[in-house]
Amino acid sequence: MSQSADNVIDHAALFLEPQYDSMIEAKRKNFENAPPQAEIDRVREWTKTVEYQDKNFAREALCINPAKACQPLGAVFAAVGFEKTLPFVHGSQGCVAYYRSHLSRHFKEPTSCVSSSMTEDAAVFGGLNNMVDGLANAHALYKPKMIAVSTTCMAEVIGDDLNAFIKGAKEKGSVPADFDVPFAHTPAFVGSHVTGYDNAMKGIVEHFWNGKAGTVAKTERQPNESINFIGGFDGYTVGNLREVKRLFDTMGVSYTILGDTSDVWDTPTDGEFRMYDGGTTLEDTANAIHAKATISMQEFCTEKTLSLIADAGQEVVALNHPVGVTGTDRFLMEVSRITGKPIPASITRERGRLVDAIADSNAHIHGKKFAIFGDPDLCLGMVEFLLELGAEPTTVLSTNGGKAWEAKVKALLDASPFGKDCQVFAGKDLWHLRSLLFTRPVDFLIGSTYGKYLERDTGTPLIRLGFPIFDRHHQHRYPVWGYQGGLNVLVKILDKIFDEMDKNVVAGVNDISFDIIR
Amino acid sequence: MSSLADKIQDVFNEPGCSTNTGKAAKERKKGCSKPLQPGGAAGGCAFDGAKIALQPVTDVAHLVHGPIACEGSSWDNRGVKSSGSKLYRTSFTTDMSENDVVFGGEKRLFKSIREIIEKYDPPAVFVYQTCVPAMMGDDIAAVCKVASEKFGKPCIPIIAPGFVGPKNLGNKLAGEAMLDYVIGTQEPDFTTPYDINIIGEYNVAGELWQVKPLLDELGIRILSCLSGDARYHEIARSHRARAAMMVCSTAMINVARKMEERYGIPYFEGSFYGITDTSDSLRQIAKLLIARGADAELMDRVEAVIAREEARAWEALKAFTPRLTGKKVLLITGGVKSWSVVAALQEAGLSIVGSSVKKSTKEDKERLKEMSPDVHQIDDLRPREMYKMLKEAKADIMLSGGRSQFVALKAKMPWLDINQERHYAYAGYVGIIEMVRQIDKALSNPVWEQVRKAPPWDEVSWEDRADAANAADEAALAADPARAEAERRATIVCKCKEISVGTIEDAIRSHDLTVIAQVTQLTQAGGGCGSCKETIAAMLAREAKAAADAPSAQVA
Repeated sequence: MSQSADNVIDHAALFLEPQYDSMIEAKRKNFENAPPQAEIDRVREWTKTVEYQDKNFAREALCINPAKACQPLGAVFAAVGFEKTLPFVHGSQGCVAYYRSHLSRHFKEPTSCVSSSMTEDAAVFGGLNNMVDGLANAHALYKPKMIAVSTTCMAEVIGDDLNAFIKGAKEKGSVPADFDVPFAHTPAFVGSHVTGYDNAMKGIVEHFWNGKAGTVAKTERQPNESINFIGGFDGYTVGNLREVKRLFDTMGVSYTILGDTSDVWDTPTDGEFRMYDGGTTLEDTANAIHAKATISMQEFCTEKTLSLIADAGQEVVALNHPVGVTGTDRFLMEVSRITGKPIPASITRERGRLVDAIADSNAHIHGKKFAIFGDPDLCLGMVEFLLELGAEPTTVLSTNGGKAWEAKVKALLDASPFGKDCQVFAGKDLWHLRSLLFTRPVDFLIGSTYGKYLERDTGTPLIRLGFPIFDRHHQHRYPVWGYQGGLNVLVKILDKIFDEMDKNVVAGVNDISFDIIR
Repeated sequence: MSSLADKIQDVFNEPGCSTNTGKAAKERKKGCSKPLQPGGAAGGCAFDGAKIALQPVTDVAHLVHGPIACEGSSWDNRGVKSSGSKLYRTSFTTDMSENDVVFGGEKRLFKSIREIIEKYDPPAVFVYQTCVPAMMGDDIAAVCKVASEKFGKPCIPIIAPGFVGPKNLGNKLAGEAMLDYVIGTQEPDFTTPYDINIIGEYNVAGELWQVKPLLDELGIRILSCLSGDARYHEIARSHRARAAMMVCSTAMINVARKMEERYGIPYFEGSFYGITDTSDSLRQIAKLLIARGADAELMDRVEAVIAREEARAWEALKAFTPRLTGKKVLLITGGVKSWSVVAALQEAGLSIVGSSVKKSTKEDKERLKEMSPDVHQIDDLRPREMYKMLKEAKADIMLSGGRSQFVALKAKMPWLDINQERHYAYAGYVGIIEMVRQIDKALSNPVWEQVRKAPPWDEVSWEDRADAANAADEAALAADPARAEAERRATIVCKCKEISVGTIEDAIRSHDLTVIAQVTQLTQAGGGCGSCKETIAAMLAREAKAAADAPSAQVA
């Protein structure tokens, strides 16, 4: 074999060696009953046709390559944004392992989360015992200040009542009676991770504002000058929240970030393991009821949460993942309007810098066609930014987007001549998008890491923006919100455009315009 | 250095330039370059001019003798294209160190040449002189001579160190180097009556190739282009061409004129920007070739190609005219482009509200005036003045070079780069369509809407502030006639010699001057490039009229 101790080659190179080549080929020939290559090629070509697309879109049941995740993932995301909070997922432990790895693969940080490890007997007799033991063990082992409970499908199917279970567990002494255990029912068969985020956030807010599940008196709201901010499920949460805090501090706004995940997913390597880090303090969370208003950066991540907050008497503002000049203008104007704080000159200068950068590079983006997929709010923010750049969004697709989302995207597109040829697809998957990329070709694709298969199959260069980004590191450390964030997104897009211009150039063959200056 | 001084003198004394021949003998020697203004924002130096003029020669090694500054900043920075060798994109420099400065850099230069020849074997090495070795006294011509003999390979000294003057002078010195060392050193395998040279075309973004297919079709051979997509041997053999076209006149007029003198190659000044200019140039080429022995039927074929290409171009432009008619363009460029692009844009239905003439010659200005009497010729490029003009002209788009002095304007309106760092080719019949397509794109880009707007929370935009400042200035002047008069008198007429209105008026009045030469003699005004002579003539006429009116009033 070609491996030797002196030169160990990794899988990318190893399996290209001739002996593996012949092994794979022999297996294909002798055991796999593979169709002839010509037939494979014919079918591959056929999948690029409109005829195939029609069949693809006629799919009724099967979902292929969905661009969404399940509710509890969002619930865990929301929970880790609070001070020393342990997410506790009531249900099957396998699900929980998924959330931990999913988030860790994106953030390159450990994500602490426990499960009640329900097994078959729990499924038959109910999961109360698992809740009782689980809370007791989690509390004893990991010493959290709060345990935020959500559920997997298993618990939801058998109809476990979290409110009653948690009460029961407290009565049995699993955790002290005054220990905070907010909860949310988060079945994966409803909605997606953005729904789960919403439910969990609502559960936590409700817990602190509405009398902690009946254990204390409901808080009487005494309005102050502060505002609350909710980022939503956001793959750039580390960079984004730090950027938002900087903007608020610059403006002199008094604020509470509800679900501050910027530290827990960016802990320093200094010899100390931080199971919990940063996060919104429980005291601040409770006091957030007195704020003047709550701004959500992602409407579709906070529908129920905002409705609860509005019921508490606050003004609520829902944005759609604003990216770029106009989006950030709107965000800051809302902050300024609500708080009465003017936008300082230093931020006006940041705005001018982003405008300058766009003006400098506009010729390269102008008229380029883009397909975008991702979470509903991210799609909206990116569409708005692309229109601002003079790019032409051509296909917008969100597996977890619904009718309301679709209408909103269309309204945005209708307002610009650059959006007139764009089609919007709610509830469709990435296999649908594969057909669309063949029948409605674009210059670039914007989406998460899952878009890399589309990039390979269709040759459409992928600009990685969204969640999850597994195959590129540290993207989450850089904001995409604020003017600085807009600049980051602009550079990401431009880098890909220029890389494409320089890619595949062979010296002496097609390098006439292989220029130093672009 | 005396030879360099002579060379510069020779280049300045350019009989091919009518401005120069119009000057007095003494003034003529002083040349046409305006003196550099210390403290002002400056353009490129002579080295830069020489480098950009010759860098498009693709198969030679361009070796810059100097510290890293010179080659470090000029390496492959023009986007010129090659159909063959890419050696011109490889950066060679002697990268002089402190030791070389102390002990002399000639040995290092010689070794560098040797290593280039050993490793790359190019048909020639172009060696560029820069300020530091020039001041140290490195004799690169001598080194090149020795190296040429030793290695049997042409090593060409390009002596245009930065300090001798501006970019334009460097262009000319580069041309001189070609005349002295390259042109006429080889013989073509064969010649035809259809061989031409194109001088001053650099193939930026491939512009030469937008025209070449037409010449190929007509059977006209570009024996040599100086220097776009050129090979060394083509330039060496260019003396056998029958005719030449000068594309960028101020840059290499000396080469065209001297080739006419030495080799009897007639030339004309033309442009490939715009439909009619391209057609005119094709006709001129045919005319010169026929005069020198080509078959007269060439003109018929040229007319046929022109008819076909013009029809095609008009057809293609038609798609844009509904979108572009009535759109106003402000042109901030220089030299020949101040008028050649005007024709192109007018053809596309755009109207030109102003064109900068700061870098243009008197001829350029006259040509512009002839073509479009309504176009405002702009001399003053101070941002606030520009802004005022823009606002009054209400331009929709500005076409300009990429220099930072226009930042203030960039902030105001759509902006398209048409100078050397552009990425699109705009020459010939196809090029004008590309330019119009780019203008159309720029006009519709949403970012300009954004840059015109103030931040939504800002009550006072910078435009408001500029308006207020301009209004305040005007009000102050209106309220203070003495200051207004002082400002009027302080306005500079002769930019070369920095002579003001007041100085000239005083001279005319106190000495009863009547002709321009007297004014020049007394005040020096008009003694530089001569472009202010019109203004002086107008002042003389005005003063004469005032003098004539005054006594008659007394008599009455």
